[in-house]
Amino acid sequence: MRELVFAGFGGQGVLTAGLVVSQIALYKGFNATWMPAYGAAMRGGTANCTVKYGDGPVYNPGQQKPDLVLAMNTPSYKKFVNLVRPGGIILVNADMMTEEGNARSDIQEIKVHCNQLADQVKNPKGANIVMIGAITKILGDFTHDEGVEGMNDMFRKKGKSKFEALNVAAFQAGYEAV
Amino acid sequence: MGDMVKGNIAVAEAAVRAGIIVYAGYPITPSTEVMEYLSTRMEDLGREFIQAESELAAINMVMGVSACGKRVLTASSGPGISLKQEGISYMAQMEYPAVILNVVRWGNGLGSLDGSQTDYHRETRGGGNGDYRNIILCPSTVQESVDLMYEAFDIAEKYRCIVEVMTDSGLGQMMEPCEYPEFRELTKCDWGLDGTYKVKRGDFLGRNIPGESETYMKKVRAMRENEQRWEMYGEEDAEYIFVAYGMPGRVMSGLVRTMRQQGEKVGILRPITVWPFPEKAFEEMKEKNPNLKGFITVETNGEGQMVDDVALYAKKYGMGTLPVYALPYVCGVPKDDVVAADFAKVKAGEIKEVY
Repeated sequence: MRELVFAGFGGQGVLTAGLVVSQIALYKGFNATWMPAYGAAMRGGTANCTVKYGDGPVYNPGQQKPDLVLAMNTPSYKKFVNLVRPGGIILVNADMMTEEGNARSDIQEIKVHCNQLADQVKNPKGANIVMIGAITKILGDFTHDEGVEGMNDMFRKKGKSKFEALNVAAFQAGYEAV
Repeated sequence: MGDMVKGNIAVAEAAVRAGIIVYAGYPITPSTEVMEYLSTRMEDLGREFIQAESELAAINMVMGVSACGKRVLTASSGPGISLKQEGISYMAQMEYPAVILNVVRWGNGLGSLDGSQTDYHRETRGGGNGDYRNIILCPSTVQESVDLMYEAFDIAEKYRCIVEVMTDSGLGQMMEPCEYPEFRELTKCDWGLDGTYKVKRGDFLGRNIPGESETYMKKVRAMRENEQRWEMYGEEDAEYIFVAYGMPGRVMSGLVRTMRQQGEKVGILRPITVWPFPEKAFEEMKEKNPNLKGFITVETNGEGQMVDDVALYAKKYGMGTLPVYALPYVCGVPKDDVVAADFAKVKAGEIKEVY
């Protein structure tokens, strides 16, 4: 069973990023759950969600010991770095990280300039999608094509297929960055 | 397998497919997505959606639709359901069926937004004034929320009672894949009002109250006999049986499986109805398992509420000498490692039984 936490400011697309990854997991044939943090989360505040997926039923959808945390900004890094399971990964948005990081030696820290990469592919709102590409490569639970197809499938069903080329470019940029 | 769907949306769509002709409600977090979704969905289908001026107005609109023998839904959370109790009690008296969704949030008064099981006592005892019970269905997954909501209307009409689907913030807000059932045709119960005057006016002072009470009690007994639902696992050889419903129910269904692989002699009873409480499961356990050492409820409230019912039914079925523990985690989703550590404390005698 995989556990991922997606964290950032409201508006950075972390809840969507988590949803896309959970949909890719379904597309691949896994079971999946997506659970948002509830309570003090508001626009401009911090937002996070927990995604779990695997072969069997997902009994506990809550936040426990994530294999991977996506930290899209410094407060999210500080809040979640100690939650990562030993041997796990924290994936950091290097463009929004104002501190040095490397808070733990027993986890792997991967930095990606996802805002810069999103700008480069002319999809400045796609920093979250860049990170989905990176996560796909890092975890290896889905192939590149499964990731792209699962993502496109979801946005098509939401009637947002006009952004498909831009999203694929952002995904690709993240996939190649790690 | 279907796509990821939010619990609140899924349950609303299930009610649509079960054939609600009206939704009337007043918004409250964490149930608001139900209204948001139905505000367009009902209109698209040519049905009625009403955002009432208050919870009180909403439940009276529900009463009106029900009086006409049509299917109707309202949804709210703890504080809003409190306001609806007058209407609920009146509907119980008049035998008007309806389905109510309670997306429970923690607390007294205004409470908080956290998912919780603080409404257990109120919901299982009827809620308003009087001597009635509602059937309380407690799903633990999004798919089960859909299935139970769909069936809730049939049960409500069968007994002419209120059926409440009780979820919580967690189950309402989370997403999981689910499949929807087929659309039902819109129906009308044959007793529903239709504008013709056919019911003789009652005599308020000349009633036979013991006889009237017996008609309700007969119904309560039938519901208790026929509608208990539960899921059990590991009960035949367990020393400790966990009892948990809703979100803690699914957590414990998984953790018990993990713990058994590690050699722990544990089992789980997951009530799907909390009223009627699945007492037949206790009868089964008593018959099957002579080695039981105790019951442990896992709940998201302050000190355990369901623990009272577990103790009562353990006693009723000859297991009254067994200790009954509560592991209450107040709100949110219980964590596997925390529950496992607390279970070790129970076994070591560091956590005392409630009963």
